[in-house]
Amino acid sequence: MKNFRDIEQLSAYLDGQLSPSDSARLESRISSDPELDSVLSDLRAARGILRKLPARKAPRNFTLTRKMVGLKPPLPRTFSFFRFSTAFAAVMLMLTFAANSLLPRISFGAAAPMAAQESLGVGGGCTSGCGGGGAPDALAATEAPVATEAPLVVESPAATEAPVVGLAPLATEVPPSASENTSRVAVTPTAEMSVAKEPEIMPVPQDQPQGQSEAVIPSAWQIGLLVIVLLGALIMFVLRQSAMRKWK
Amino acid sequence: MDETALIHSAQNGDLDSFNTLILRYQDSVFHTALRIIGDEDLAQDAAQEAFISAFRSISTFRGGSFKAWLMRMVTNACYDEFRRQKRRPTTPLEPETSDGEEMDSPRWLADPNMTPAEKSEADELEHAIQHCLDALPTEFRAVVVLADIQGMDYSEVATAAHVPLGTIKSRLARARLRLRECLRGFEELLPSSFRLEGERN
Repeated sequence: MKNFRDIEQLSAYLDGQLSPSDSARLESRISSDPELDSVLSDLRAARGILRKLPARKAPRNFTLTRKMVGLKPPLPRTFSFFRFSTAFAAVMLMLTFAANSLLPRISFGAAAPMAAQESLGVGGGCTSGCGGGGAPDALAATEAPVATEAPLVVESPAATEAPVVGLAPLATEVPPSASENTSRVAVTPTAEMSVAKEPEIMPVPQDQPQGQSEAVIPSAWQIGLLVIVLLGALIMFVLRQSAMRKWK
Repeated sequence: MDETALIHSAQNGDLDSFNTLILRYQDSVFHTALRIIGDEDLAQDAAQEAFISAFRSISTFRGGSFKAWLMRMVTNACYDEFRRQKRRPTTPLEPETSDGEEMDSPRWLADPNMTPAEKSEADELEHAIQHCLDALPTEFRAVVVLADIQGMDYSEVATAAHVPLGTIKSRLARARLRLRECLRGFEELLPSSFRLEGERN
């Protein structure tokens, strides 16, 4: 058995892939070496058998359809314009809905603490008569969270009526001293505030539904955008259908 | 319409031109797939996949032998089919011939140590050769099918198999050597002109 290098040379020689000098050298070796000649004959026979194999014809046609290769009909240039404008209008429409539903809530959430601070300032009675300088302001600021709970007190008539009667004299007792006033406010702030701000707080819950009902983006804009979206979709559908018809 | 013009049209998306090319090459594509895979149904699938891949990537064809480029698609499709078979191996319980009749000595039952009686049942030379081809490693089989059955030259085979020219020479020599050994087992089926020299000695 010859080494693989010889067999590779013989195989290439069979196919005429050796250079003329290599071919001449191999031919001289073949003529002097019967084993090499035998291997060459075997390789030639093996190649001849393979080449003798009957060629099989395709049992069917392998031609491709547009569906098989995922080809789509060529669309007119206007199609891309309608696609962009429809998509843009759809996005804008969604943004208007989002703006109309979210912005009033955000503005109400920002207005509530301001209303509470205003009501606390009035309820503390320090704006004019307390004379405590900065102390009442600081107190009002610290008590702001309590003030936001004030409407709960206002909602129950039993709770509001009782302190009103009891605290009326207290309000008249304010003038004696500023320090007394501040200490009383510190002890019973909620009751006093609920009484004092009662007329100011009431409008806040009334304003809330008004704020929600007011649309930031007018509905006429939304209707316009909706019409653009629907029209764009319809035109795109018609363009696609006509392109498909032409293509077929 | 000549081949270059058809290829150019196909590169511009003309499916009809590509279908004309398919009609020209479908026999050799199918035959190559059949000899590499050894199963007619799978060969049809591989040929179809090869043509679909060829159309999708025809823009990458930069000239040269279109047949070699197409054969590259076929060999890739055959390798994909082998990988699929490895993942989900299937063996028919009652293998049939292409005529739908039950096969007496199916290839998958063939054994290098078959008795002379079993050998005589391998009634066609084609089956014997296919048996030997199936026994080759896949990459050797592809090379020998392209070079010896399709009659392509080394550079075309190198393009189709996507391996260097030196590798083609080496694989072809090894494949022929193994085929020679395998075909010795089917000596009586071979025509006298193709009787192997080693056997005579």
